[in-house]
Amino acid sequence: MAYVAVRGGAEAIEASLEHLQYERVKEGAYVAVETLQATMRGFLDQVMSESSLYSEQLAGLAMKQSEGNVEEAIFLLRAHRSTLPRLYYSTTTDARNMFVLRRISASFKDIPGGQILGASHDYLHRLLNFDLLQETAADVVAQKAEFEAIEVPDESELPLENLPKVMDYLRQEGLIREFPENDAEPSDITKESMAFPTNRSQRLQTLTRGQTGTVTSLGYAGLRGYGASHPTVGEVRVGWQSIHVAMDDEDDPYYIGAIKLTEVESFIPVNVDSEDKQVLEFDIGYGACFGQNETKAIAMSIVDHALETGGDTPIHDEEFVLLHVDTIESTGFISHLKMPHYVTFQSKLEQMRTIKKEGKSL
Amino acid sequence: MKRAERTKLLIEVGRELALQLAANICEQYDVQEISPPKEGLVMIKMRETAQKSLFYIGEVLVTETKVKIGNHYGIGLVKESEPELSKALAIIDAAYEAQLPETILWIPHFEALAQQLHINQQQIKRSIERTKVNFDTMAT
Repeated sequence: MAYVAVRGGAEAIEASLEHLQYERVKEGAYVAVETLQATMRGFLDQVMSESSLYSEQLAGLAMKQSEGNVEEAIFLLRAHRSTLPRLYYSTTTDARNMFVLRRISASFKDIPGGQILGASHDYLHRLLNFDLLQETAADVVAQKAEFEAIEVPDESELPLENLPKVMDYLRQEGLIREFPENDAEPSDITKESMAFPTNRSQRLQTLTRGQTGTVTSLGYAGLRGYGASHPTVGEVRVGWQSIHVAMDDEDDPYYIGAIKLTEVESFIPVNVDSEDKQVLEFDIGYGACFGQNETKAIAMSIVDHALETGGDTPIHDEEFVLLHVDTIESTGFISHLKMPHYVTFQSKLEQMRTIKKEGKSL
Repeated sequence: MKRAERTKLLIEVGRELALQLAANICEQYDVQEISPPKEGLVMIKMRETAQKSLFYIGEVLVTETKVKIGNHYGIGLVKESEPELSKALAIIDAAYEAQLPETILWIPHFEALAQQLHINQQQIKRSIERTKVNFDTMAT
């Protein structure tokens, strides 16, 4: 059977695109990219995390262009990213130096520096606020002024720029395995495709840019029995992370700005062999991602540990996990099923008709 | 003043000052634009805390400009699309590389920026301190 090229859809596609543009403007309403940046924090953070490109400006633009369609916004950003040159690599970024805006632990009540709730949806009742239906620009300005007028302490001694890590205290007690600093250059999955078995840097890079829902579901599956990791969250921190680039002199880098990050350490009890007996220690599952994406980072820490330890269930299977968490790969492959498959389907159809006619089985 | 501190002050609280200082340098010296402001990416290398290894967490959009004053090069590198600020940073960087006398006069400006950054950070800290849990005050 030969393939036959056909044409005829160009005008229909052109009209379809015009309809798409019309859908975006048909209500006559307008929203500025700056407004989206200012008011859609969670959406921007998710899109930047999954597209693996930190730019609030571009994420806001992608959101506007895609009409809030997350997978489309990520596709736009990944496509745009592919047109830009990679100019530099940053110096090593360590979230110990994060300017923390929120930091909590589920493992200890009293932690050095304290439980800092910051801004979070966690403490809401999740009731719709119908007042927002009538909200005006003046209301927003008034609410902002009201918050800024709240009395606060004259001085703060909070060391938000160098809060200690909760896990350091368990390490000092010998309850968490100590590792020396490993400065081996990481692999980069955007430069070289993964081959299995993977290394740790490939796994972490794949998970941090993974689809939020998929990473969360895999972490959830791990907790429900499809994995051997049952963590307690040691620390979640969210804040501004300074980024530096060094040219010739590593000791005199350029500061290029700060990005918002979420970082999580989960404590997972494990039995380890020690002097001919089994002792209980904690492993750490690690999660980190762009923006304030706490659920994703916690789930990532569960999946990270599952992939490190191995096991028989799906979330311990690195091929299963790493080849299916990427937004572009999964949505792209699923949505390609909408594309014309006329020839292959006709081929199958012909085959079935012939078999049926001849009364044969496959 | 180290470059990291200088660039942090200009980017975080000194945008207007950066544009002004760069304009002053351009009035007095021949500033050659080696590479106009262009957008690109910086890949962020991150230290994870579980095993203390390195991985790439993703890329950040940046704008880079390169200029030259005499035989001295300057680079301006800042996140997001910021052509004006990037160019101003490059000119200021070149001014420091060339050890231009003007840079001595800038010291009070940078001291003021450092003070402003401290005030801004204190403002955040004072506000966030209200969200610090004080378990002692919880009802029993």
